[in-house]
Amino acid sequence: MARKPRDNEHTCPHGVSRRGFLGSLGAGAVAAATLGRPGETAPPEVADAVEPSKVTLLVNGRRHRLLVEPRWTLLHVLRERLGLTGSKPGCERGECGACTVLIDGVPRYACLTLALEAEGHEVTTIEGLMRGEELGPTQQAFAAEDAFQCGYCTPGQIMAAEGLLRAKPAPTVAEIRLGMSGNLCRCGAYPHIVKAVRRAAEARKGGGR
Amino acid sequence: MTSHLEPVPGPLGGRHPRIDAAAKVTGSTRYVADLALPGMLHAALATATVASARVLGVDTAAARAHADVVAVLTAADVPANSIGVIFGDQPLLVTDRVRMVGDRFALVAARTAEAAWTAARLVGASLEELPGVFDPVAAVADDAPLVNGASNVFRTFHVQRGDTAKQAKRAAVVVEAEYRVGGQDHAYLEPQGCLAIPEGRERITIVASCQCPFYIQQGVASVLGLPLAAVRVEQAPTGGGFGGKEDYPTEPAACAALLAWHTGHPVRLIYPRELDLQATTKRHAMVVRHRWGADRAGRLRFAEVETFMDAGAYVGLSTVVAERANVSAIGPYHVGAVRVATHVVYTNNLFGGAFRGFGAPQVTWAAEATMDKLATRLGMDPVELRRVNVLDDTRRTICTGQRLRTPVLAREVLDRAVELAGWDGFRAAPPAADGAWRHGMGVSLVLYGCNLHWGGQRLDRSSAVVILQADGSVVVRVGLTEMGQGNLTACQTVAAAALGVDPSQVQVWQPDTTTVADSGPTVASRGSLMSGRAILDAVRRLRVRLDPVAAELLGCRPGEVELAGGFARVAGSPERAVAMQAVAKEMSARRIETIATGWHRTKARRFDPATGQGAPYEFYAMACHVARVAVDPGLGIVRVEEVTAAHDVGRVLHRDALEGQIHGGVVQGMGWGVSEELRLDRGRLVNPNFTDYVIPTSADAPRITIALVESDSEAGPCGAKGIGEPSFIPTAAAVRNAVCDALGVEVDTLPLTPPRLVEALGERHPFAWVVEAATRPATEHEPATVGPRA
Repeated sequence: MARKPRDNEHTCPHGVSRRGFLGSLGAGAVAAATLGRPGETAPPEVADAVEPSKVTLLVNGRRHRLLVEPRWTLLHVLRERLGLTGSKPGCERGECGACTVLIDGVPRYACLTLALEAEGHEVTTIEGLMRGEELGPTQQAFAAEDAFQCGYCTPGQIMAAEGLLRAKPAPTVAEIRLGMSGNLCRCGAYPHIVKAVRRAAEARKGGGR
Repeated sequence: MTSHLEPVPGPLGGRHPRIDAAAKVTGSTRYVADLALPGMLHAALATATVASARVLGVDTAAARAHADVVAVLTAADVPANSIGVIFGDQPLLVTDRVRMVGDRFALVAARTAEAAWTAARLVGASLEELPGVFDPVAAVADDAPLVNGASNVFRTFHVQRGDTAKQAKRAAVVVEAEYRVGGQDHAYLEPQGCLAIPEGRERITIVASCQCPFYIQQGVASVLGLPLAAVRVEQAPTGGGFGGKEDYPTEPAACAALLAWHTGHPVRLIYPRELDLQATTKRHAMVVRHRWGADRAGRLRFAEVETFMDAGAYVGLSTVVAERANVSAIGPYHVGAVRVATHVVYTNNLFGGAFRGFGAPQVTWAAEATMDKLATRLGMDPVELRRVNVLDDTRRTICTGQRLRTPVLAREVLDRAVELAGWDGFRAAPPAADGAWRHGMGVSLVLYGCNLHWGGQRLDRSSAVVILQADGSVVVRVGLTEMGQGNLTACQTVAAAALGVDPSQVQVWQPDTTTVADSGPTVASRGSLMSGRAILDAVRRLRVRLDPVAAELLGCRPGEVELAGGFARVAGSPERAVAMQAVAKEMSARRIETIATGWHRTKARRFDPATGQGAPYEFYAMACHVARVAVDPGLGIVRVEEVTAAHDVGRVLHRDALEGQIHGGVVQGMGWGVSEELRLDRGRLVNPNFTDYVIPTSADAPRITIALVESDSEAGPCGAKGIGEPSFIPTAAAVRNAVCDALGVEVDTLPLTPPRLVEALGERHPFAWVVEAATRPATEHEPATVGPRA
């Protein structure tokens, strides 16, 4: 279970800290290793949490300079440090998808992504889909098709749909069902979710992002 | 006054966007985990990991020594240490005895959630393990270890109608079966959570993810020894409930309240997912024994049902669940004689609680399996057998002796579902096997008693408040909650229709125990019904003051005022109209009271609990599901391809939300029937995560075809009936019957996981000899590592 850590809770006075380890690899290599190219990862270092590192995160087009502990997840930093509570904790182990965000346009579970890994990448959350006061086309489609019930999984569903449509602007129903299957909806709103994704695809054709 | 009337279509039965759509698609809905206050502490629980033990001592020193810990409480710190919803058989914190995994030893409050949960693990409980009992049939044996009190059978409920021995003589075929129906976890996406905010030692506010704020109010008041008026409970937007946030949330709320009371700080408690799965209530596992007989023509002559309900270690709501299971055991069929016994049995398993369907799904699964077995024995089509026995307007007495109100639409839902699903064509020419996949089709009916059972009718009332604002917009408060089913939107729709305004003019706010009177729980598919009727009552009372003002502006008599299209107008002369805004402004200017309360209670009913005869429910809803499946017999994998759902709904309030309930019921019902297995090892859940406890994804969801059978009933507001539970109950049974049809074998254990199907196929399995070698030792116990996607 991921837990909410606190500044300076643990120290690592000697030896290789996770921070030092990550630092030696360089942000780009870390990101490459953790964002989908497992072949490049080095063996994991076991280390206690350490003193916070400076990190610059690009979230929804805004640059944030933060001190984060290396073990903090992106979800933790988004919610507890940046106040972006749209991304939801549902399982904190990459099973439910309620925390899905886009990293460089690709859907990722923020609970399985370290905040440090996101440095140098463009992070988009549900809050970043608004066009000023207006809903984005995917959000509009979810509202119009009643593609939610309790709403807790909805931000994650919308981010997954957004990622799917960026990769595949005109998906078939089978591709939508498969593409959205990393996001659980216990209310079972799937039929409306599939309709919403189709509607969003149509809307985006007409000049949507 | 204006003569220009824009016809605004009425909101009833439409698809206007839900009241909470914009907030939910922007992520701006604030669930309880999104709320924080300055100085807020985080709570954690120290819980038992064994199911049966004597407590020799609880050592909190290490937890207290943790740097960020502010308070550690044990049973000695609890003013009134009892939390049972109905019976006082459950302590909030255990003192001498552990009866189930998840029993609490101590509560921790700390400055961070991480510190709180770390410290909770440092609480040392010294335990002496005791023998436990983990099966409801075994628990009934004379030598079974006692779980909680003098007998493991807590209660038995009965239905007795007619002479089953006499009727048995007329039966040409008799089916005897024992069904083992598994439980289910609610798996709402938002875990249990609440925030307790103390005000000195005087009073306290609880903001909670819950279905029943009034239960929490009572539970917290009783644990802290406060008057009800000193406990205010506000429902936070709730990320799914399905029954799991009916009874259970009182426990975390009482824990957070105690910590808040002791520390003087706001305290937030959010369950980690693993604990949520491990410690909260479940759908009851049941063992259902049947002996049913029919004559040559297929007429049901008698039905005997004996059900052992696994209540777990504490009764909670189990007796109430048993009441519904008891009278639902036969379904919408006419039977010559009926004998039902439903036992509520203590075990050391995780305790059962409310879950969508409330005992009816398990007994319906068994009843519909038996119907198919009878059809096979008689050489009849399963639909034909149901047609011979199903209730209708001419034959409408259920097993409790209650004569149903007409129209009785069981035959109609059966006919509609069967026709839409293409039953006859499928039976006449079943699709050929497609590679390994074999196809099957199954049917299931349900007789659903709307609202609360006779035993709970004292709670069956509802309160509403309607406030007409000076600008013509409307505030509505009700006592029943929104958890995704659309209650806020249903209330908005009813209020808008009653006041003749556009739904966008009406804001319905989350329930708060200080704004409305105790309205009972949001359960039993009663939300829209009960809040809707209360709103109609409030609008009626508001109009006693509104109509005279409108009449004066219109120059007519108050009795001639009608509200429609955003206007007050003269009945019969729609051109004489005044905008509602103008009426509201006038009422405000004259300082006329613009707030009105409303109330609704269901009709009192007669019922004899000794014989199960009488009217357990005021009225009923019927439903029929037909499932089409593909099964790979080699791997035991089930693919539910289509579910056709026909529902008797009265009148539609909001079409999208109604369809959403049916979609959700079908998907959740399919999960329960096929893949969701609570794997318990001596009372401990060994799969407390979403990788091993498999709920359906978008890729698993079947195609869902819906037929709504509407009728004019006087049931709910504007004729609506409940839909939340009838949408769930028949699915798993229809899927089971379809799988058996595809494989040509009978499977009497739920869920239909691959190992179960392979086992049921036995020698008919394509690789029987391999299976023989590989699984024989594992069948002694539940296989722990094989899942549907393993």
